Amino acid sequence: MNVQTPSLDIRHYINGHLVDVFQTMLSMKATPVADGQPPTFSERVTGSVGFGGNTVTGAVYLHLSAEFANRITAGMLGLPPDEAIGETDINDVIGECTNMLAGGLKSALCDKGHDCAVSTPAIIRGTSFVIESPQDVQHELLVFNHDGSGFAVEVHIKFNQTN
Amino acid sequence: MPIKILSVDDSRTIRLIVGRSLRPYDCILCEAANGEEGLAVAVREKPDIILLDVTMPVMDGVTMLTKLKEDPELKAIPVIMLTAESGRDNVIHIARLGVRDYLVKPFKEDQLIDKVGRVVALKKKETAAPAAASVPI
Repeated sequence: MNVQTPSLDIRHYINGHLVDVFQTMLSMKATPVADGQPPTFSERVTGSVGFGGNTVTGAVYLHLSAEFANRITAGMLGLPPDEAIGETDINDVIGECTNMLAGGLKSALCDKGHDCAVSTPAIIRGTSFVIESPQDVQHELLVFNHDGSGFAVEVHIKFNQTN
Repeated sequence: MPIKILSVDDSRTIRLIVGRSLRPYDCILCEAANGEEGLAVAVREKPDIILLDVTMPVMDGVTMLTKLKEDPELKAIPVIMLTAESGRDNVIHIARLGVRDYLVKPFKEDQLIDKVGRVVALKKKETAAPAAASVPI
């Protein structure tokens, strides 16, 4: 049975937490785009971190264009913004950003009584893919903008009633 | 004598940020990418302080901390946990394991320096003396 937690507004939480992660780690101002259309990318980099426990399971995805992922990595590593950076470094930075998003959400869930653990990050790269989940999984897509670059956070979450 | 600091994190990015934050200070930075490597480096280097991530492959931070506290040679080394998880229960849990402090990601570099500086005496590196001015004979 799927159970909602009215006391945790996932969209509100992620909106605030992403802005904080970008401001604190990258000195970048990210702006939530209300009811924004999902951005399209010719080449996409997606960070993913799963979480799971007795009463909740899910995953957090951070979707970026390859160009913006490069720019974020340069910012985090203190390199010029247009410097070409290797995939290993980009994967590490995007994985760590996703980890911070998921870690924050995990903490908020734990504080509401949904104890869970997070996975280590994984990176997906491609030109055209969608992440699907079963129908009973709550699906939230949040769109953001920084300096003309659109990006998105996707949260898949399922609350399970325990007996 | 420089302070010896061990940074244990599976993210090279975080280890790089730690190194960048500490660059102005007179310290030696050792690194490890997981708890297992971290224990080996701790045995070899006997650091003055350990900065320890929680979620890592191979051996996580909580397991490494538990093993550290079981080792008479290592248990006195102060540990600051770096964690993306700020939840109340998580904080209570890691506090019970005997950490000196914790820092929640995302963090600013000056927050890290502040936390480390409360545990060990960080001293700024002495800047090189300016080259002597040439004096006409």
